[in-house]
Amino acid sequence: MSATSAVKRPKDATPWLAKINASAGPHGTATYERSTPFGPALTIQHFRLKNGLRVLVCEDHAAPVVAYHTWYRVGSRHESVGKTGLAHLFEHLMFNETETMGPGELDRKLEEAGAESNASTWLDWTHYNIAVPKDRLPLVVRIESERMGRLLLRDPQVTSEKEVVANERRFRVDDDVEGAVSELLWATAFKEHAYKWPTIGWMPDIQAFTTEDCRAFYDTFYSPNNATIVVVGDVSARRVLELVVPAYGGMPPATLPVEDAHPEPPQTEERRLSVAKPTVTEKLVLGYHAPALGDSDHLALSMLSEVLFGGRASRIYRKLVRELELAVDVHGFVGPFHAPGLFEVYASAREGKTADALLEPLDGELERVCRSPVTEAELERARARLELSLVSGLETVDGKATTIGFYDTVLGRPAAAFERLEAASALSVSDLLRVARRYLRKESRSLILVRPHSTEGAAA
Amino acid sequence: MNDVAPKKRRVLVESSPTVPLISITVAERLGAALDPPGKEGLSRLTSRLIRRTGAGLTTEQLDERIDTLGAALSADVGYTASSFHGAVIRRSLDSFADLLIDVLSRPSLAEAEFERLVRETQAELVDARDHDREVAQSWFRRRLFEGHPYGRPVSGTPSSIGKLTLEDVKACYARVQSAENLVLAFAGDIDESAAQAIAERIEQALPRGEPAPDALPDPTLSQGRRLTIVDKPERTQTQILIGCLGTHPHDPDHIPLHVGNTIFGGTFTARLMHEVRSKRGWSYGAYSNLPYDRKRRGFSLWTFPKSSDAAACIALELELLEQWFQDGVTTKELAWAQRYLVRSHAFAVDTASKRVGQALDEELYSLPPRYYADYVDRVKAVTLGEVNDAIRTRITPKDLRITVLGTASEIGNPIRDAIPNLADSEVVPFDAEC
Repeated sequence: MSATSAVKRPKDATPWLAKINASAGPHGTATYERSTPFGPALTIQHFRLKNGLRVLVCEDHAAPVVAYHTWYRVGSRHESVGKTGLAHLFEHLMFNETETMGPGELDRKLEEAGAESNASTWLDWTHYNIAVPKDRLPLVVRIESERMGRLLLRDPQVTSEKEVVANERRFRVDDDVEGAVSELLWATAFKEHAYKWPTIGWMPDIQAFTTEDCRAFYDTFYSPNNATIVVVGDVSARRVLELVVPAYGGMPPATLPVEDAHPEPPQTEERRLSVAKPTVTEKLVLGYHAPALGDSDHLALSMLSEVLFGGRASRIYRKLVRELELAVDVHGFVGPFHAPGLFEVYASAREGKTADALLEPLDGELERVCRSPVTEAELERARARLELSLVSGLETVDGKATTIGFYDTVLGRPAAAFERLEAASALSVSDLLRVARRYLRKESRSLILVRPHSTEGAAA
Repeated sequence: MNDVAPKKRRVLVESSPTVPLISITVAERLGAALDPPGKEGLSRLTSRLIRRTGAGLTTEQLDERIDTLGAALSADVGYTASSFHGAVIRRSLDSFADLLIDVLSRPSLAEAEFERLVRETQAELVDARDHDREVAQSWFRRRLFEGHPYGRPVSGTPSSIGKLTLEDVKACYARVQSAENLVLAFAGDIDESAAQAIAERIEQALPRGEPAPDALPDPTLSQGRRLTIVDKPERTQTQILIGCLGTHPHDPDHIPLHVGNTIFGGTFTARLMHEVRSKRGWSYGAYSNLPYDRKRRGFSLWTFPKSSDAAACIALELELLEQWFQDGVTTKELAWAQRYLVRSHAFAVDTASKRVGQALDEELYSLPPRYYADYVDRVKAVTLGEVNDAIRTRITPKDLRITVLGTASEIGNPIRDAIPNLADSEVVPFDAEC
């Protein structure tokens, strides 16, 4: 199931592209670049417009629907101190008003077309996903091109949307203990890199944004050469290009800023906090500095995370939840980011148990995987879980488009999900031992003990 | 309406080779509504214990086997239906089917695992108090369906779980785990004959039993607007649920009410979202919900504004509800909703698992014949008069349950003042059992 090698160029790619290009705008001439397999049955065709807009098409005729996703290569890591949360606020504003559609009209038209639509923002990207019955694709192309090039930003909408985002923050962070502690963990673990602030932004920053801030952000980052369109579904590549080329062909590329990256210096000693929160039980949160998604260690560390935290058969779930009955839940996650992120661990103690009590056996298990290799059976279990997770995410056109777009945006390789599956089969227990010793180092971790307010005075 | 579960099992199959994945659902027309008062959580605990002790394996062995096959197996219990749902990659289908049959037919229901599961469940229920929306929903459901099984928690409470015995669980297993109560659903990369063969093996492996009676009464709602404030300290925002009784799939106005709800709060551009979020920015989400089950369920509005906006938001929601009730919807809104529902139906049937899920719901909840097959035509045929009559027949703005989770000392008085004709109000602590 190889996904890395290019496949044969479609026989009729050039003739129909030439016809489409004959009526393209000044920046719209499309070029066919290559095709890559996406799993055993599907193919991704790669195109690029003269203005830099990339278009990936995966024909999938299983149902009469089409997913049209737009990925902008801008996320919260592109923000600056004092302007955190702007990428996310802007995602909200993209649903407001354009030169030809009044406030709210865009969503109304999409719903009337039977569309499923949403958007999301994270550290490295902003993602707009729309799926429609296939005959409504022209409407989606019109809407997405319109808001890429002709969005209107006005004070009333910005003011209202800031309040919506502030309420979203209250919901996801301020009144949610796991969200609040995760935010604190990243702010503790990162001192230099832009991953230190949350994607949703700090509340004072959200409340201080002006319409001008939003307009400058739009002008800087929302350009065709900073975006990739991913189309999956019951449509031909030719039909997609017939719609996309005239819709986006008039947009010039922008001069993208050089990213003001500040690599995180190595962490040399453990950072430990004890905080009180309005929670019913104690929590323990850990963050180890972890490799970027593009690092060859990322997959091995992810597989180690599966061995340790993936499901009820995992080592640490068994130890903390079943054997010692100290925790209600425990989970671990290696972040899939452009730059090095965190291997996060979250454990919720049972009533009457302390976060400190969780830490000792948790550390014991983490030290064990640094001392001796996991078993072949454990690695096989982790591989099978990875495969099930991948396949389960590909049932819908939206699932396929999200998988393609995510890996294309972060790694530049749209079929990398299958590459990872193939690479997992080549991993050995030695690889997991190596990454355990490289990354599970106490001096490179941040640790937060969360106690209910009423017990803070009694905490050690 | 058929109030007795059919005697013959049903096998539903939706084949699709597009993804090398198969889902298998083994469902029963029985659920937590049969849990005896004081023993809430029994059905769910029994299903979880079967999942953990089947096939003559320990829980650890079973979890390892399932994971290594590239599979997942979960137990889900609702009020009137329950199911085991498996998903497996294509090449492991045969091994997974063997294991699934063994799990369902041969659970040890081991005492040590039962006791461990009781402690685990109690801890989970305490931990869930950190999740404001869940806590608010529990109290809303309890007050809306006061005295009815729908008002009792499927998961139980720490004390009801503590009262359960292994004998209770064994009796529950004997009652529900019967070939007579099964509906089997297969979707994905599996053909009809392979699915039928597995279905026959499941049926043969399970004991025969009696079809379960469906003695659940319809819920009723007492008069008046009644407020429950769930007091939780240090909240910056509130969780607000407002509602009354809703619809039953056999109601003649079921689809018209569904269309009416779509206009009121069923989508991102519906009236509720437009007024609460788009115009005022008060709440990140604002939806109304109209679920169905074997008996009449509820109709509810959900918003979560910051504490200082809560009273104004409730007043606005009540005003919108009253307006919807009094004035109904417009021709333009109806035409828009019909186009939305008809066109978006493509996403209700775009995968094999969704298609079989619809067929499964028809069986489990005794939906009217061809409920989903005729859905689009029924939506298209709805008239303005039918929608507005349905709203006036089913929605009761004078008789509402209002649940607000927040910090009572900050929100209590303004909220009570914001609700006209409030019959009574109470304040309950968030960590009280519900």
